[in-house]
Amino acid sequence: MSALLLDLVDQAVVVCDASGLPSWCNVQAERLFPQLRIGEPLHGPLSRAMAEGADCFETVSDGRRLSGRRVVLQGHGTPVGHCVWLVRDDSEVHERQNELMAERARSAFLAEAGKQLAASLHHGRTVRAVVRVAVPALADTAILFLPVRGRCVAWHLYGPDERAGQLPAAALDQAPPVAHALRGLVEQPVLCDWQEVARLGGALPQDPNPPGQALVVTLPGPGMPAGVLVLAHGPQHTGFGAADVELARQFAARASIALAAATFYAEQVHTAAVLQDGLEPDPLPHVAGVHLGAAYRPARETLWLGGDFYQVRADAEGGVRFFFGDVCGKGVEAAVFAGRVRQSLRSLALVESRPVRMLQLLNEALLEGGPTPFTTLVTGSADSARDGALDVVVAGGGHLPPLVLRKDGRVDEVHIGGTLVGAVPDPDFHQTEIRLAAGELLLLYSDGVTEARGGPTEQEMYGERRLMRDLAACLGMPAGAVAERIDLRTGQWLAGGDHDDLAVLAVQAPALAPSADVEQPR
Amino acid sequence: MTAERFDAIESVRTAFDDHLARADETAAVALVLDLLARGVSAEDVLLDLIAPAQAAVGERWVTNEWSVAQEHAATHVSNRAVSALAAATVAPDHPLGSVVVACPDGEWHTLPAHIVAEVLRLRGFAVRFLGAGVPTAHLISYLHQNGSDLIALSCMLAVRLPRMYRTIEACRLARVPVLVGGAGFGPDGVWARALGADLYARTAVDAAELLVEQWPPPLTGAPALDHLADGEYAQLVSRRGDLLRHLVDHLRRCFPPMRRCADDRYEAAVEDLGFLVDFLAAGVFVDDPRVFTDFLVFLADVLAPRGIPPAGLDLVVRALCEPLSDLPRTLTHLAAGRGRLARAGHTWTDA
Repeated sequence: MSALLLDLVDQAVVVCDASGLPSWCNVQAERLFPQLRIGEPLHGPLSRAMAEGADCFETVSDGRRLSGRRVVLQGHGTPVGHCVWLVRDDSEVHERQNELMAERARSAFLAEAGKQLAASLHHGRTVRAVVRVAVPALADTAILFLPVRGRCVAWHLYGPDERAGQLPAAALDQAPPVAHALRGLVEQPVLCDWQEVARLGGALPQDPNPPGQALVVTLPGPGMPAGVLVLAHGPQHTGFGAADVELARQFAARASIALAAATFYAEQVHTAAVLQDGLEPDPLPHVAGVHLGAAYRPARETLWLGGDFYQVRADAEGGVRFFFGDVCGKGVEAAVFAGRVRQSLRSLALVESRPVRMLQLLNEALLEGGPTPFTTLVTGSADSARDGALDVVVAGGGHLPPLVLRKDGRVDEVHIGGTLVGAVPDPDFHQTEIRLAAGELLLLYSDGVTEARGGPTEQEMYGERRLMRDLAACLGMPAGAVAERIDLRTGQWLAGGDHDDLAVLAVQAPALAPSADVEQPR
Repeated sequence: MTAERFDAIESVRTAFDDHLARADETAAVALVLDLLARGVSAEDVLLDLIAPAQAAVGERWVTNEWSVAQEHAATHVSNRAVSALAAATVAPDHPLGSVVVACPDGEWHTLPAHIVAEVLRLRGFAVRFLGAGVPTAHLISYLHQNGSDLIALSCMLAVRLPRMYRTIEACRLARVPVLVGGAGFGPDGVWARALGADLYARTAVDAAELLVEQWPPPLTGAPALDHLADGEYAQLVSRRGDLLRHLVDHLRRCFPPMRRCADDRYEAAVEDLGFLVDFLAAGVFVDDPRVFTDFLVFLADVLAPRGIPPAGLDLVVRALCEPLSDLPRTLTHLAAGRGRLARAGHTWTDA
């Protein structure tokens, strides 16, 4: 009965007598140790363990992973010196463990790969990430072929070294697995001889130890493949198993999403850059006899576009003509409308030089274009006068009064008045003349400057009073530095807080006397 | 440096300082271009003429010899001189790699970063200098658009370290290596590593040599800011307004110069106090009291020539202890601050 029961146990049970010879065993033992004979000397792991006097062992025997322990029988009825070996076959458990570990490693790799592939939206960097992440987890060498563009195929290799280049699309025919995959003719990963890929010739490195097998994996894309990844192992490697192929396929799926996002982003960026080109302020001209400075800081937009705009152009008589405005709203919509205003102003400047008349024409043009936001605007000109002075004419509609920094440190407001441009059909525009003596400066600014919220309470507006005080402290500074300084003071006031579009433009009659001689307030 | 080059630069040093003092942009630009024409290398002009001249400008502001306006005007002129040098030298045909140089949001000292940008360009990198106060979102969008290999960030004041950290984190997420530099990162850049920067360089030349040696740059930085778990930094930031009000009330009662100062001066004083609280918070952020103590020493040097007794700083630090008594780590920074002031002889004694 007990012998029958022991046959049900899933371990091998071998009873040995005092001389170390087996005296009984169960069915499991016969299966694990086919050479075992009752009464005859032990073989294999049991005999080794007995010889070493060990109480337990772990070993691999005939491809099985065995662990055994010896129990010395004590108690009434048991002959002295008898012992029992209990041996377990762990092969399956171990194999399952290995599989689990491998699966975990694959999941971890895919998770890490996903992170690295998603990091950049730049196409070139994403291409680089694809081949770099693939090595060494998937292969010793990885080459990514990109879709045909302009009869060329760009490739990027990472392995013992890193290289990139282009080859003529026609050359692909020498490597049918790659050519087919790139045309979207094969969905599944394809194993082929490395030589087939190596036929692409000069483009690829001539490895002194050519890999044997290559795995060609299509990167699925919208419509056509986003690329083809060729993986290869060095000669010492066994090649690609089913699990490797599946892992490569899953990696390729992630890589293609990253590449598609980068391609899409590049197209968007290109579109944005083309539009942006006409919307950013032009650099200030260099004009003898007029010092200029500007600062431009759109509301926290990644595109660096806003509704504040300005432009300064040198005119034929040696002076400058300028405009400065702030369209209502912010972001891309405001920037596009600002672009329209700027374009109209440029055209109008060709036919009309009287500032007030120009504003009236602009008002008409904007209203004719249908319902639009409106804009504040100051247009003007600055022309050299005697003694290094500048004669400035400013006309405006609805803009904040410009400030003038006089050479005695006083700051005056220039009241122009007028209605917003593009708001009503019968607008009221005015113009004013100012003379800037040598060293004096006219500052135009948008409401984003004075309405910047921050300071000690983080809620207070920077305000006109502080702007005037900070401008007064700029006495003796060149226009460029004044614009920078106002930008800096506003930025310090904001202390990292959100803000509206900010712009300032400074027009200055250059100082004659060394500015260091001027009395400086703090 | 050869004797000849040395002479060329020495012979114009006074003239250049003079151009800065008079904010004479045209003359300063003409002077550096002339040096270039005489065969002096652009790098020597940047590092041996403009950089030391600018250091002297900062010194003149500290000692109250120059007003803020003069300092700012001179810096503007130096920046123009650097730009003129950049325009007059040729960019490399086959750049070693592409680098973006920027002063992140809140950092307005452009000149050191500008010089680093030009030195890197002269040493063979394709460089784009984005200027001052670049918002992080704009910076990251630039990186995605241009696929730059490295971003170099400058921080001149340790008070910007918390915001600098957010910028570095954003770059790490985009997996673009970050090189940092500037006095704001502390002695030998100790706080650069805490913030997770991949590389730190003390000078422009160090930066160039480091990059040539370690190209492509590593992506190994990891922030070491576990101490933030105690929430003290967050507390300091959210209590900033209350702390400032408390300090102003206290100083109005106990500090005569604060009682009698005019409106403008008063606002400037509140601004300085805000700065002091921010430096304290930055020190707690990187867990190093030196951020705060170094700032106190610097501020004492600034106040003394302006007729404000530096011992007032001791009064301020003491006044902070009570409302912050529930923040033990912050208290050690305040204690270190008082100790440092005492060693410098700036202890406040109640009248």
